[in-house]
Amino acid sequence: MSLLLQSLVLGVLLGGLYALLAAGLTLYFGVMRVVMIAHSAFLILAAYLAWWFSTETGLDPLLSLVLTVPLFFGMGVFMQRVLISRLRPATLTMMSVLLTFSIALVIEGMLGFAFSGTQRRIRLDYGGANFEVFGANVAVVKLIAFALAAVSLAALFLLMKKTQFGQALRATIQHPEAARLIGINTDRVAGYGFGLGLATAAVGGTALALDSTFYPSLHWHWIGPLMAIIVVGGLGSIPGAAIAAMVLGMGQSLLQIPLGTTWAQTFFYIALFATLMVRPQGFFGGRLAQRF
Amino acid sequence: MPSASDTTTVTSAATGDTTRRRGSMLLKAVALAVLAAGVLSFPSVAANPFILSVGVVIMSYAVLATSWNFVGGFTGYISLGHAAYSGLGGYATGLLVIHTGINPWLAMVLAGLVVAALAVPIGIASLRVRGASFVIVSIALVLILLLVFQSWGSFTGGSNGLRVPRPFGPEVLRPEQHERFFYLHALLLGVALLVWWLIDRSRFGTGLKAIREDEDKAQALGVPTFTYKLIAFVVSAFFTALGGGLYALWFGFLDPIFQFSILVGSYMVLMSLLGGIRSLFGPFLGAVIVGYAVEYFKNQYGDSQFHLVAMGLLLGLVVLFMPDGIIPAATNLVERFRPQKTSIREVSAADLAEQRRTAGPEAGQADQQARTDDGTDIPSTDTPTDTSVTEGARR
Repeated sequence: MSLLLQSLVLGVLLGGLYALLAAGLTLYFGVMRVVMIAHSAFLILAAYLAWWFSTETGLDPLLSLVLTVPLFFGMGVFMQRVLISRLRPATLTMMSVLLTFSIALVIEGMLGFAFSGTQRRIRLDYGGANFEVFGANVAVVKLIAFALAAVSLAALFLLMKKTQFGQALRATIQHPEAARLIGINTDRVAGYGFGLGLATAAVGGTALALDSTFYPSLHWHWIGPLMAIIVVGGLGSIPGAAIAAMVLGMGQSLLQIPLGTTWAQTFFYIALFATLMVRPQGFFGGRLAQRF
Repeated sequence: MPSASDTTTVTSAATGDTTRRRGSMLLKAVALAVLAAGVLSFPSVAANPFILSVGVVIMSYAVLATSWNFVGGFTGYISLGHAAYSGLGGYATGLLVIHTGINPWLAMVLAGLVVAALAVPIGIASLRVRGASFVIVSIALVLILLLVFQSWGSFTGGSNGLRVPRPFGPEVLRPEQHERFFYLHALLLGVALLVWWLIDRSRFGTGLKAIREDEDKAQALGVPTFTYKLIAFVVSAFFTALGGGLYALWFGFLDPIFQFSILVGSYMVLMSLLGGIRSLFGPFLGAVIVGYAVEYFKNQYGDSQFHLVAMGLLLGLVVLFMPDGIIPAATNLVERFRPQKTSIREVSAADLAEQRRTAGPEAGQADQQARTDDGTDIPSTDTPTDTSVTEGARR
C-alpha cells in the first residue's frame, strides 16, 4: 500500500515537470507549427548551466534561473526570427524538425566537448533531506522541482489568460491570418512565444539538475516521452499536454513496480501508438491537430 | 518561366527536341557506364585495406540512404527513425544465422521479408498522421527498439552486443572480405536504384509524387493515398533491412547503441537531402560526401563529440540554404544555359509559391485577365488579388 502511494506521489512530482516541458513544446507548435526536437537538448543545457553556476560560484543552483531564463528567452526569440522564419512555408513542418534536430546535435556535441561525457551531479546540503506523508517518502529536492514547475506553469497560464500579450499569443495560435487582420504583429508574437517555450526548458533543466544525474546524450531519453505526451494530448493544446503529462507520468511511475524502470519507459510509446490507432489527432486536440 | 510569349518558339523547339533527347539519353548512358566503372574499379585502386573498408562503409550508407529515399523522396514523409529497420534487419539476420544455421544470404533475405512484414502494422499506425506526428513516431520507434534490445539480454545479447558469424570461411582474409562485401553492397545498391528508377517512371510513382506535393488534392483526384504510402513505406523498410543485414554480415558485431541510434537515421536523411531527394543518384552522392566526412572526422578527432557538432552544422546549413540538394542545384545551373523547355515540367508546391512570390504582380494580372476574358472588362490597373497571392505565398 505504501509502495503504491509512494509511486503515486513520485508520479505526480514527475508529471509536473513533464507538464511544464510539454507546455513549452506545445507553444512552439502552436505559434509556428514547429516540432522542436531540440527542446530536451536545451533542457540538458540548462541543467549543465545550473551545475556550472553552482560549482563556480558555490551558490544555490536555483539562483542560476535569474540568468538562464532571460538567456533562454532571448535564444528562443533569436531562433525563431533568424532560423525558423527563413524556412520555406510549404515544407516548414518537416524542415523545422530537421533544423531543430541539427541544433540538438550541436548542443549535445558542444556539451560533450566542453564538459566531457562524464555524468554530473550537483551536491546540495539539503540533497538527502526528506519527509514522510502518510507513509510515503518525499525528497525535498523533488518537491522543490515540482513547486518550480507548478509555479511556472501557473505563471504561464495567467500570462496566456489575463494579459493582452497572452490574448495576442492565443489569437496567433488560433488563426494567424485573422490575428494579423486585427492588427497583431504575429511575427513578433511568434518570436516571443518561442522564447517563452524555451524559457520553460530553462526552468525544467534547473529543476532536473536538482535531483538527478545528467550527461550530454541524456536528452534523447527525454524527447521521446515528451513527444509522446504532446501527441497523446493533441498537438497544440496546452491543457491537453498538461493532463497527458500527469496521466502518463503517473502511469510510468506505477508501472515501475511490476515491470522495473527500463520497461516502464515503453509505456509512453505504447500510449503513443495506441493514440495513433484510436484517435490520431490526440485526446484534447481540436481543429489544429487534425491537420497534422 | 513559361509565359505567353513562349508559344512562338514552340514549333522550332519541337523539331530539335527529338535529336536533343536522343543526345541526352546517350550522354546519360555514358555517364552511367562511367559511374558504374568508377564504383566497380574502386577496390583495385584503393591503396590499402583501411581505405577499402571506408569504401564499404560508404557503400553501406549509400544503400541505406537510397532505401530511405523510397519513402522520403517520393512521398515527402521524412522519417528520422529508419535506423529501426536497418537495425532490425541486422539483428534478424544475425539471430537467424545463429539459431537456425541457415545460409547467411538466405537469412539476410528472410530478415528483409520479416522486417517488411513488421513495417506493415507500423506503417498503418504512423502513416495515419502527417508531418510532425509522423516524425515523432519514427523517432519513438527507434527509442523503443533501443530499450527492448538493450533489456532483452537473453535473446539479443543485450548491451554486450551480438556476434554474427562470418559468411565466408577463415581462409578468406580481411582485405579479400572487404572486396567481396564492397561488390555485394554495390550489387544491392544497383538493385535499389533500379527499383527506384522503375517506380519513378511508373503511374504508382506519379501518384506518390502527387502525395508529396499535395496529399489532399491527390486524394481528391482519386489517388489511393494510404495504400500508396504504405507500399512505398514497406518497400523502403525492406531495402533498409537488407542493407542492415548485409552490414551485419560484413561487420560481424551488433551493438544496440549503434544499431538503433537516431544518429544513423539522421545520416540517411542528411545524405539524401544533401544529394537531392528528388533525384535517383542524390542519396548516393550524399552518402559519398557525408560518409567520407564522417570517417574523416572520426579519424581526425577520434572519440570526441566533435563529429556531432560538425554533423549538426552541416545538416543545419543544408536545411537552411540548400533544401533541394546538390543535384537539382547543379542541374538548374546547367539548364540556365540551355534553350527553355516548353513542355510541362515538374514543379513542386514550394517552387510554385516561390515563383508566385517573386513574380507576384504579373502573375496576378495574368490570372485576373484570364478570369475576366468572357466580356466583363475590369481595368487591370488595380489588382487586389496581387496582395492576396503574395500574402498567401508567404504564409
